[in-house]
Amino acid sequence: MSRPFPYAYISCPCANTPAPDPSRKRRSRESPQKASPEKPRPELQLDDEEDEQTFDPRAPRSNFSLYPPEQLLYCEDCHQIKCPRCITEEILCWYCPNCLFETPSSMVRSEGNRCARNCFNCPACTAPLSVTTLENRGGDQSGPWVLSCGYCMWTTLDIGIKFDKPTNIRAQLAKMTTEPSMPAIHTRQVSKTFGDLKSPLSMYSSIDDQLPPVDGSRPDNEDQPSDTSIPRTRNARFAALKTFYKDQVAATTTSGVDPGDFGASFSSPNTLHRIMSIYTATRITALYGNGNKKARNRPPVMREAVSANEGLALPKPSSETAIIQRMASDDCGWDGLASLEQRAFQSPDARFVEDLLPLPSLLRTKRSKRCKSCKHILVKPEFKPSSTRYRIRLIALSYIPLATMRPLILPPTTSASLPSLSSAAAPNLDALTPQRPIQLLLTLKNHMFDPVRITLATPSVTPGRVASKVTILCPQFDIGANSDVWDEALQSATAPDRSSRTSPYEKVAEAGKVWDKGRNWTTVVLEVVPGSLPGLKLKAYKGVGDDDNDDDDDDSDENEGALDWSGKSKDPAQQIQPDEDVLDIPVFVRMEWNSDSQIDPEEGIGSGKGLGGDSVKRELAYWMVLGVGRIES
Amino acid sequence: MSTLRHSQSARSPPHTPQHQLRSNNNSFASNSSGSTYRVEEDAIIFELGARWLRAGFEGESEPKCIVGFGPEESRRVGDYRGWLRGTAAEQETPTQSATPEDWTRPYELWNMDLRDVDLGLVEDKIERAVREAYNKYLLTDAGLARLVLVLPSVMPHPLLSSVLTTLFVRWRFPSITLLNTPAMATTAAGLRSALVVDIGWAETVVTGVYEYREVATKRTTRAMKALIQETGRLITQITDGKSQPGDTLSVDFEYCEEVASRFLWCKPSQGQDTLAEISDKTVSIPSPSDPGSSYIDLPFSKLTEPVERVLFARDMADSDLDDEEKPLPLVVYNTLVSLLPDARGICMSRIVFMGGGANIAGVRRRVLNEVGLLVKQYGWSPVRGKVIDRNIQKLHDLKLSHPAAPNYDTAREHTDSDSSASEDGYETADEPDTEIDPIEQKLQRVRDKEAVPIVQGILREVETLGPWAGASLVTNLKVRGVVEIEREKYLQQGLAGATRDWDHSHKDTKDSSAHSQIPDRRSGLRSGGDRSSWTLAGWG
Repeated sequence: MSRPFPYAYISCPCANTPAPDPSRKRRSRESPQKASPEKPRPELQLDDEEDEQTFDPRAPRSNFSLYPPEQLLYCEDCHQIKCPRCITEEILCWYCPNCLFETPSSMVRSEGNRCARNCFNCPACTAPLSVTTLENRGGDQSGPWVLSCGYCMWTTLDIGIKFDKPTNIRAQLAKMTTEPSMPAIHTRQVSKTFGDLKSPLSMYSSIDDQLPPVDGSRPDNEDQPSDTSIPRTRNARFAALKTFYKDQVAATTTSGVDPGDFGASFSSPNTLHRIMSIYTATRITALYGNGNKKARNRPPVMREAVSANEGLALPKPSSETAIIQRMASDDCGWDGLASLEQRAFQSPDARFVEDLLPLPSLLRTKRSKRCKSCKHILVKPEFKPSSTRYRIRLIALSYIPLATMRPLILPPTTSASLPSLSSAAAPNLDALTPQRPIQLLLTLKNHMFDPVRITLATPSVTPGRVASKVTILCPQFDIGANSDVWDEALQSATAPDRSSRTSPYEKVAEAGKVWDKGRNWTTVVLEVVPGSLPGLKLKAYKGVGDDDNDDDDDDSDENEGALDWSGKSKDPAQQIQPDEDVLDIPVFVRMEWNSDSQIDPEEGIGSGKGLGGDSVKRELAYWMVLGVGRIES
Repeated sequence: MSTLRHSQSARSPPHTPQHQLRSNNNSFASNSSGSTYRVEEDAIIFELGARWLRAGFEGESEPKCIVGFGPEESRRVGDYRGWLRGTAAEQETPTQSATPEDWTRPYELWNMDLRDVDLGLVEDKIERAVREAYNKYLLTDAGLARLVLVLPSVMPHPLLSSVLTTLFVRWRFPSITLLNTPAMATTAAGLRSALVVDIGWAETVVTGVYEYREVATKRTTRAMKALIQETGRLITQITDGKSQPGDTLSVDFEYCEEVASRFLWCKPSQGQDTLAEISDKTVSIPSPSDPGSSYIDLPFSKLTEPVERVLFARDMADSDLDDEEKPLPLVVYNTLVSLLPDARGICMSRIVFMGGGANIAGVRRRVLNEVGLLVKQYGWSPVRGKVIDRNIQKLHDLKLSHPAAPNYDTAREHTDSDSSASEDGYETADEPDTEIDPIEQKLQRVRDKEAVPIVQGILREVETLGPWAGASLVTNLKVRGVVEIEREKYLQQGLAGATRDWDHSHKDTKDSSAHSQIPDRRSGLRSGGDRSSWTLAGWG
């Protein structure tokens, strides 16, 4: 994982409760027979015995249920952790992340969910573009303006666009790039400006015109003066199709007979006649003169688009050849062709870098979040885009203990007695030596105002092919309440021996004992023996018991060689899969506490039996994944 | 009551500040938010394929976003390794070699072979993709508006059930309308009938759509997945310096896809050397081992080889090919042959290409040309063999009017196709009146004023705006879909609740492959007048 080791992830419990669905039940009953025998599917077992199954951090599905603890929310009513999958969201406001202007909700859609002002992103590198002037002599900011990227030096000049004013760039750009489909005169003007600007913009169909440079496009346009009314851009074509279909629907429905409706009533002579007439209309009506009259009485059939004005587009025979020639031309090359990433938000026809247009910044939203099951608000930010404050924010970390880890550095004196734990320096978590035990301090910090009793459980061997042994030396312990900070200060004043933890070198990890404890935190020791990676199994680990560091280095070099060698001979599935060398430990956390029922008296009656008169016993259980490090190969 | 008046007064003058609206829905009681007003009108349209999810609003020409299902999208939350690309950290980890199947699997949402598809994972991926689409790009409250889902016309039921369950359970969509891809592509081309060639991810599906209904479907595995695998093989071969391609691919998938999307092209069919001058050019592409800094030179003609090999099955005898791996032109031809002559005449002059492979420059032209050649060679007869050839030769010697295929239907259709296929296939049909009849001519002129002649019988390509745009058009017309699944019913019954007797009326006319997809406003009511039942139509 890209997070620095060590890290802790929490699996939202919602992953274990799949949605009830009749068809799903039926399916899961069927599928065990279908499942291939050599590869039993773990999810199915999980369905059968939900809680019994060990959480496998390496299963592909777990990537979708694991969250960093700081991203989780907590519903006080359901007493449950809430991940982005089990909340619903409502948009409070829309704003541009660049200029922080708020867009009213009625405008968002018409502006295409993008900033309507001057905020643009570079089509080549996605950096924000700035409006700059071309001529800044004399300091007077006048003359043509361009959008330029400060990162990759792209400017709108590359696609031949200049702006007259430094304001309202989006409208100016829209005027230049979209082509008004209706009045032909306008279109002609625009296409003239296109030619002047030498910009083949985003028009796929015009590429072939413009390709044999710009001079080639001119006569082409003049040859077909009627072409100007033909929609060329996708948008214009879409609009043409839309009006065409609208007209057709209107024309065919007023007459009262269903267009294309010969599904149900073949018996109707009207329909039959029409089916017949689809092929023969031209012939029959031509032969029998009265057919013509009849045809007029008959309701017209909704027809297909037949002309370019109606949205029909027939590709020019040379268009594909032109693209190929342009691809192969010397001035295009790899960088002249737009990458997949660049094309993601451009018109689907944009193929070359010159077809890319600057993208107005996408708006962002502030959203309030509700629990999906009880609809209580979990997060509600301030409405103002510039404000970062929240009105309500129930983050999970104020309810569940925060887990932090650090490697336990053993004092050099113990190395004689424990040769296997010899490294005096902190182990490199990015390259853990296989089969060499390390000890980690796992600290759980309580943020609740009630003391919590924690039970940790972990499989003794991590799931997956790389079997690492894990032992929690003290799996059950208490954490104090998040009381006043002064309490601790006073406490430590009365008990000075607590300060002995400043020199932990004298301590040795013992089973069943808490390593250290503070006001609202407790530290326990976790002992991990990283497993050896597949493909390395043949190799004997001489260096494990050795103190000599040089020898270790030699070993690792040899190991790499061994891996390469095995990689060539063996099936690729036998090799280490990506991230298989990450040492992830699933830990089941169960916390119990007595909460003050005065906080929510109603809940106390319903959800649990009060221990005393005024407190309710609560518990929360979830899987946590501790990422210790990466095993060295 | 007060809220009602509030909102009305806020809505009526168009320039009223929106704050009033918003303060309105801040109140805890009202569960709606400011965006309700627009989503009531506009349905959300999702097009779901094996690799991408396209999402947007009805009535718009393009989807708002295209979300992928790759490994970057499947990372844990908070794992930002995708952003380290191009940095030193990324280059430290070499790409491991994998079999072609394993190489592409992380990038696809589903595989139609459900034996090794983890449906839970599919659900997770869909959930995340849809959530991301809403939160980042659609910027509207999820699940309030009606959803229109554009799906391939053949979906395994478990998969369909997974998709629907995820959407219904996770969000509060009132209803989901299913539309099928070929019909929507036809609509987006402005047509009612078409031959849709979908060069998709796992397979190329050629569908004859007649009056918005699927009447014939043929498939081949020669599609983009195989093409990118072949590109990977080509590049692996270049980096390894071996002459023989190995079993495993050791280059980065994304790099290969990038190469494929940028530089793959397709030669025109043989005999048309319009591109002869560029065949000896070289292009430089970033070196596969070190894409950041160094480049390697490749002959431009090399970059057409994967296309030739995969889509057109070059160097392979027809007899060696299995039924599911016929080259594209043959599949197109076979589909046309399997159509009824009337439908064939209409469909062959409305060939619509869609899918990722349609973007490869030259593919469409090549397919059309080769289909034209096939037609010229065999006519419309599926019967082949030496004896047949001899018979044709005999007929030829007898100097019949045309060197025709035996059971060809309309002479008119044939002459057109014959002449145009050999050339370009891009001419509009003219009425071939053999004898000049003044009355006929006059009638013709009158008719031409009102009716436009139907183009048929020639090979012609029509461009489509894509199935997403088609669904957007159809939805915008307030056309009611046949398959409209309501939330409550689905949650009660699941897929099993769908009635299947809907297309009894079609049984005699078409085989089971017929797709009763009629985008028509009344079709929903026609299901026996029983409004409580719903159908899956062609998906059932």
